[in-house]
Amino acid sequence: MTGGLRLAEPARTIGMVLGTEDATPTIFWFAVTPGSSVQLDDLVVVQTHKPDGQPVNFYGLVDSVRKRHEGITFESDVADVVAGVLPAAVSYAARVLVTRVSPEDFIPPQPGDLVAHARGEALHMALSADKMEEAAFPAGLLADGQTLPLNFRFINGESGGHINISGISGVATKTSYALFLLHSIFRSGVMDRVAAKSGGQMAGTAGGRAIIFNVKGEDLLFLDKPNSKVIDREDKARLGKGFAQDRYSMLGLPMTPFRDVQFLAPPRESAVGGVIVPHVDQRSEGVTPFVFTLREFCLGRMLPYVFSDAGGSLNLGFVIGNIEEKLFKLAQAQKDNSSALHVEDWQAEPDQIIDEGLSFDDLGKTRIQTFSQLISYLEYKLLEENDGLGDKRWVLNQNQGTLRAFTRRLRGVQKTLTPLVRGDLTPQQAEQFRPNLIRGPYQLSVVDIHNLSGPAQMFVVGVLLRDLFEHKEKNGRQDTVFVVLDELNKYAPREGGGPIKDILLDIAERGRSLGIILIGAQQTASEVERRIVSNAAIRVVGRLDLAEAERPEYRFLPQSFRARAGILQPGTMLISQPDVPTPLLVNYPFPAWATRKDEVDDLAGRPVAEVGEDWLR
Amino acid sequence: MRPMRIRLDPWPVDIEGGQLALTPFEGELIDIETPRWAAVAARPIPERLERVYVVDGKRRMESRVFIEDDDGAAGMGGFGAYVVGAVSLCPHGTRPAELTDVKAKRVLAHAPGLRLDPCTLSPRDPHTGRLLYNPLENTTSDPLAALHTLQQAMLADEQELSHGYASAVPIDEQDDREWLTTLSVQDGTLRGKNLYGAVVGCVKTIQTMYLPPDRASLLAELKPGERTPILHMQYNNKTVTRFIWYVRLCEAAFYQHPMSGVMRLEMYAPDEPDFLPPIVRQVANLSGNLLLRLGSHAHKDPRAPQNLIPTAALEQAMARSMGSADLVTRRIRAHIARTFDPAVLA
Repeated sequence: MTGGLRLAEPARTIGMVLGTEDATPTIFWFAVTPGSSVQLDDLVVVQTHKPDGQPVNFYGLVDSVRKRHEGITFESDVADVVAGVLPAAVSYAARVLVTRVSPEDFIPPQPGDLVAHARGEALHMALSADKMEEAAFPAGLLADGQTLPLNFRFINGESGGHINISGISGVATKTSYALFLLHSIFRSGVMDRVAAKSGGQMAGTAGGRAIIFNVKGEDLLFLDKPNSKVIDREDKARLGKGFAQDRYSMLGLPMTPFRDVQFLAPPRESAVGGVIVPHVDQRSEGVTPFVFTLREFCLGRMLPYVFSDAGGSLNLGFVIGNIEEKLFKLAQAQKDNSSALHVEDWQAEPDQIIDEGLSFDDLGKTRIQTFSQLISYLEYKLLEENDGLGDKRWVLNQNQGTLRAFTRRLRGVQKTLTPLVRGDLTPQQAEQFRPNLIRGPYQLSVVDIHNLSGPAQMFVVGVLLRDLFEHKEKNGRQDTVFVVLDELNKYAPREGGGPIKDILLDIAERGRSLGIILIGAQQTASEVERRIVSNAAIRVVGRLDLAEAERPEYRFLPQSFRARAGILQPGTMLISQPDVPTPLLVNYPFPAWATRKDEVDDLAGRPVAEVGEDWLR
Repeated sequence: MRPMRIRLDPWPVDIEGGQLALTPFEGELIDIETPRWAAVAARPIPERLERVYVVDGKRRMESRVFIEDDDGAAGMGGFGAYVVGAVSLCPHGTRPAELTDVKAKRVLAHAPGLRLDPCTLSPRDPHTGRLLYNPLENTTSDPLAALHTLQQAMLADEQELSHGYASAVPIDEQDDREWLTTLSVQDGTLRGKNLYGAVVGCVKTIQTMYLPPDRASLLAELKPGERTPILHMQYNNKTVTRFIWYVRLCEAAFYQHPMSGVMRLEMYAPDEPDFLPPIVRQVANLSGNLLLRLGSHAHKDPRAPQNLIPTAALEQAMARSMGSADLVTRRIRAHIARTFDPAVLA
């Protein structure tokens, strides 16, 4: 009941609406009562009365505070005031951006109306938490230690979807905050509450999954391990801010690492038929390698994802499309369940056969088992057959230059794709190492691609996202899948196109109705395809370069916030959500999961001496 | 023969009379401190002096009115407001200066013989306060009587205020226990009777030249902070008796007359010119240093340095406390309109 809201008792009043500055329904100033302290981001409430006695409440956020000497004319008078000669009052005033007017009577507040801190029910109203109900989940702590709720319905696609995070790198806030949000979504119970409300239409946490692409170091390979520093850091934060509890308790979240995590990594290079081991250096167990079979490569039309930057050249695109189709036909015609590709019209030169272990089956077909053999075959078909004219049906009147560009590019990625796309797997192996992001008992899948070259990273991301998208197109939206992708500007740049950008655009524009939610991050939103950024309902900004902050992509930040974005510390973010018209500054706790190998808590929380004692016995 | 020399009066031309007028003095002067006519150096401000109040008053006539009372008697009058107030400061600069007792009073000054009730102008907008005018009878019926009534009321309040704050000044030689702990500095010349308080009046202008020509030259020679010896002054057939001395607050610029920057100070004196209370001498001794601290600068105040910094601030605060003259006269008009025809404002 909003009309019945009573202002806090007089002791909590912190000021009065100023009459010397314009008071409007959306922005007003108030004079701070002597003895009170008001800081940026404080949430306040003002009640005014209409002539008929009906109360109107204004809820808002302090976005500017200032002090000045009142009643003196000259700036040098400050010396006289300090010397005790000139009487002057210090005027302390704060500006409020109104986040909500309830009821929606957009009259201005009256100068002299009392201003109070928004707490309890008033805070609820100020942040529109009453509209969120069961869909509210904690997104961090406000400056005064209260929880900022986010509306899950604006994330899971019901009312809106997608999250976009901007911030300069090095401050390590984008990925950290994305992980914190995932932790909060999975562990606050919001998915279950929303699912219960939907009456069985959705599966809740049980069906929710997340996929994270790890692009930097092996940072994300320890998310299932407790962080050895978290207790220390949270204690410090608790004491520093004078909170009674640690921040996880205040947010109502467990201080635990992620559960049900699988780690996928591409395999190391090996000879044909060699063992498949994951290409990671720091983590020895629990990492599953993933590979694609050569036949899947053809059958699944993965070729375009090798040429993620081919959007600019029409001719090359034409060749790619044609070859993709030819390979698809070849693989489709193949009746067995082999992972290799069988071709009839190619005899590789003898020395190559030995080198690459090319083999023939009983019918005299050539079995293409490696990616480089596939390239050799394509070179043969395009450039060598018919005395250098190529196979007419494959070449399709394209000139030699384009064909050579095509094969040259394939050769360029041969080294990194060879371990990933293999034709020498047994059907069992193919099944075992097929990346499985949707099925299985895992809630969180970390796909480590940091060891891959740029084009190979693009290939993996593109292929996996396309598979995911196609899967969700068939199965509908009931199980929400969150995709965390850093460096969106690389995958979906503002200029130029490509198959991965198309997939990401599909996800951004249609994904929310299919239950695919993109949690994208980038240093500079101005360099990312506009339609992707603009489709994000929740926008988060960490520290920004001040020049970047002035770009139109950040217009959702009021000017005072844009100026402040340059000085944000790690652990502090500005969050804009549809329910609240101004962004809010939150801080979030130190990760409870290890984000580096040296943070892994090997001792399971016990002191070193205690663990050592066991060993010494 | 000396060439003709013309130098500027430092004050703006729209201030009547300027800083210097030099009308001759008709009263009597006695050397009470010393017969030796020479500059006296400033002494430090004693630790015991804890508080200095700078006191001033301001008045404003808001409307002239024609009044008919219930008995049918009629006469002229006026709605007026006045305010007195003070700045409390520590002469050693140990705490911030504060405005105290700055509160406007409103008066309905009227022709003698009328019987009036207090007049309350209630606002229609609850945020702008009530205006309460208490009736006050004029002593005469000349056209400026209302203004004089207002002025007298203000001066009486001002004197009451400055004496209320100040340390007492002993009356005779036997009584010297009182220390100078609180001094009132009053803007302008002292009025009324001696109430034996440590109140010093600061006269910004030299309208009357009290000193004979052979002594006046010392005023041009004073260095900042220095003063003349104290004199006992009587005039109006000994009805007004004061101690006076001159202090220089700043160097005169070369283009200004040599007495710019000089200020006359006065304190109440007993009628008999034979006793100089020690407190008066203390005040005179510290006046140079105190006023150097309080003096303003030419770019901030057209009457600098004589118009002291706290006085200027006080004047501003007093003007503010009387409210906007435009709004008040509008309220008066609205009030009268409502009395005669409520429908006008309905």
